[in-house]
Amino acid sequence: MKVNGFIKDVTGANRVTQERRVAFQKSTSEDLYNDPIRLVARKLHPGRITLELLQLRNTTRDAKIYRFGAKNIPYFEAGQYLTLTMKIGNSIVSRPYSMCSAPYEALGTHPIVEIVVKRGRGSTFVSDYLLTNAKMKDLFIAEVGLGDFTYNELRDSKNVVAIVGGSGISPILSMAKAVKHGDLNINSLTILYGSITPDDILLKEELEKCICDKVKVVYVLSGNNPTWTGEKGFIDGDMITKYAPRDATYFVCGPQPMYDFLKEELKKIRVPERRIRFELFGMSRNPLELPGFDPSMEGKVFKLTVVRGLSETTIDAIATEPLSSAMERVGVKIRTNCRSGACGVCRVKVLEGTYYVSPHNDGRRKADKDFNYVHSCSTYPTSDMKIKINI
Amino acid sequence: MSRIYKDKYDCIVIGGSLSGLASALTLAKKGYSVLVLEQHNLPGGVATSFLRGGIEIEASLHEMMSIGPADAPLKIRKFFDEMGIDIDWLRVPEAYRFVEPGLSVLVHAGDRGNFDVPSKDIANAVGDPDGKIYEKLMKLFTLCHNVYNSVNELSIHPVSKVVMLRKHSDFVRTAGYSAQEVLDKFEFPKKVLDILSAYWIYVGSPLYDLPFTIYAFLMADYLGYGSYIPRKFSHEMSLKMAEKAMEMGVQIEFGVWANKIVVENGKVKGVITIDKDMINTDYVICSTYPNLAYNRLIEPKTEVPKRAIKSINARDLGLTCFSVVLLLNRDYRSLNIKDYSTFYSLEDFDMKGIWENYASVNEPYKYLTSICTNIANPDASPAGTCLYSITALPRPDSWCDVTEENYRQKKNQYARWMIEAESKRLGVNLFDHIKEIVIETPVTISHYTSAYKGSVYGYRHQMADHIVARLQMSEDENFIHGLAFCGAHGISGDGMGPAITNGRKAAKTILEFMAKDKGARQ
Repeated sequence: MKVNGFIKDVTGANRVTQERRVAFQKSTSEDLYNDPIRLVARKLHPGRITLELLQLRNTTRDAKIYRFGAKNIPYFEAGQYLTLTMKIGNSIVSRPYSMCSAPYEALGTHPIVEIVVKRGRGSTFVSDYLLTNAKMKDLFIAEVGLGDFTYNELRDSKNVVAIVGGSGISPILSMAKAVKHGDLNINSLTILYGSITPDDILLKEELEKCICDKVKVVYVLSGNNPTWTGEKGFIDGDMITKYAPRDATYFVCGPQPMYDFLKEELKKIRVPERRIRFELFGMSRNPLELPGFDPSMEGKVFKLTVVRGLSETTIDAIATEPLSSAMERVGVKIRTNCRSGACGVCRVKVLEGTYYVSPHNDGRRKADKDFNYVHSCSTYPTSDMKIKINI
Repeated sequence: MSRIYKDKYDCIVIGGSLSGLASALTLAKKGYSVLVLEQHNLPGGVATSFLRGGIEIEASLHEMMSIGPADAPLKIRKFFDEMGIDIDWLRVPEAYRFVEPGLSVLVHAGDRGNFDVPSKDIANAVGDPDGKIYEKLMKLFTLCHNVYNSVNELSIHPVSKVVMLRKHSDFVRTAGYSAQEVLDKFEFPKKVLDILSAYWIYVGSPLYDLPFTIYAFLMADYLGYGSYIPRKFSHEMSLKMAEKAMEMGVQIEFGVWANKIVVENGKVKGVITIDKDMINTDYVICSTYPNLAYNRLIEPKTEVPKRAIKSINARDLGLTCFSVVLLLNRDYRSLNIKDYSTFYSLEDFDMKGIWENYASVNEPYKYLTSICTNIANPDASPAGTCLYSITALPRPDSWCDVTEENYRQKKNQYARWMIEAESKRLGVNLFDHIKEIVIETPVTISHYTSAYKGSVYGYRHQMADHIVARLQMSEDENFIHGLAFCGAHGISGDGMGPAITNGRKAAKTILEFMAKDKGARQ
């Protein structure tokens, strides 16, 4: 065969073909399909599941903890959120809620998951509906285990400082529980928790149960509380320096004004950018505040034609509401997760018309921008429009 | 009830992957009505990107083969040109750096089929005073090039045996041999063999079992012509293919699972979606693995011929993917990163050892391929940052022990080992610079694409499943009339270029079914 280093054999093709034929003939016709990897993928990401409301309990006068159960709840990561999809009148709406229970509570024979629903700032009409109408044994469609506001042992410091305000405590409580349970391998979790009055402190009881050698909580009250002996004022650079270890990863969760303030404060005390993580908090309820939003749009209502498969339906789209809200209002099914323009789950194609995308919330892929794909939760109509959505 | 689908389509494509889209485009160009059903909300399958912390991160593409320069297009660029798809291709600056203990070599790709530069790079790296190694390398690459040209020609125009022997002699003579067997005949020093082995991971089979035909194709294309990436990541490619398809009248629906392929009396009748819609068609192209299709999708199961099951059971599943993608908070120059693509053998390169390591369950991966996107694509990430991916391609069975509870720990452990290895090699502690991190595992791939066991490489290229045998037996493997398969498990095997080729081939198979049916009716 070997002649001057070159092969003279011309029968190779037939040989390998014959070998393959024989292998096929000798093989078995049994069903050998077995995909354990798929089973895990489905367990971690089952898509929509049904949750049953097991319990409601008050945490402060205008917030309740909702405990849900299901046969199987995905083993999510502390800091993630779930979305609840509900029919309210003619509307079908989805809203994200951070989970305040720990991931380990989603395992075992009686999986549960908890969220906090607060009246007031935020997704008011949906939260109000829940607070007024939800009762035990009610069923909800949910997607559980979403978002990137999670601890990553390869990226983050062994010391975590959480700076929270209002219902921003939810995901941090989940982390605190996970740390206490030994599931999150960190050295310290310091929670700087801003509220107005002692009665406002959401999830205080649950949080207190987590305090241990690794978990510390500092309450900071900004209101006028004569009997309060704890920290007063706002969480600023000085307060952070007082309590935070020198090297830490900061997890910040609360209202938008808090973020703007803290960005500056953390810069002042020289915390590296990569050590700061912000949870998404949704779209501003007043888009007129957004940079570049045309103020003359106020009060305008456009026609939005929604293409689904081979059908079209035309609905109203208020200029100061994102496209996803217009659709949800009238019961057009649109899947959303983060509702902050980041994750891309609500991606739709614009076929006709003009639109405004909030620059702070334009998380689109580069090529998507070239082809008029938008994240419908952060896109507002500036003319009549036609869009194509997923089935 | 609002209408989603037509009463009937000429063809339904299951999976809006690169391959599925290539099929759809090919059929649409001929004027046929096509419906593409994709489970995810994005086109492209693995050819996509992640969004993290406001940054877009390439999910999988290292480099595209068969593109070539605009004025001398190779097969895949020609396909895009034919379809009127204009992708902003960036040339990857070099072929690769190969690193093993005691050796670090930068190999540049040649241009327009000229192998002088890579031959010089490799010869000089090991020392070649009398030029003999350079000569042998040129001979090897010429051999590879001839096989490459033959494969490209023969896939379009099959020829007679006589013409085969006369015009495709190198192809014929090497068809029965593994890459290792042919390489051994050149009697290269070990270091040269190691450098020549670097790309094995792109085809996922140990060189002693990889058909030389595949090796030759790979080497000739990459080393003789260079490679390219789209400026706006592989999502640019996937999106433009989807957009062009829609322009040509293809209906693409995202977020839809195809649950069943209905077959009656040996012929395809339609597809049932997860929403229980029955959509009529006589022809289906399926980018899902045949393992899933034959065992779970075809309805009723009795319509699946035993021969079909036997064929898939005889084949080995190709590699899956484990990739750590980092957004680092520095320009790559301050992190000692010098090359776009690096193949790193942590120990002295030993093919058998690496192959076994890729089957192991709790050992660090010994062979890594890294990409620094910004070196080929300066605007890939914001100024003062860079995108760096570290990838291994393990064997799927090694991940079959994964559970919901141990998954995160396992993936973090592997990722840690890989970042440690690269940090050591670069002399920079990458852990000090991670701004965002994405870890893609076989579970991730299964979630987004339903690929069998998270495999991304189809059926493993091996002597017992030889590309030439696949070609020769392909007509006998259309087990169900009206059903064709596209994807990495297609004839040409894995890779984004081959996936597109497989898609076109599947469309061709459907056209042949159609012609047969038309003939039968007349």
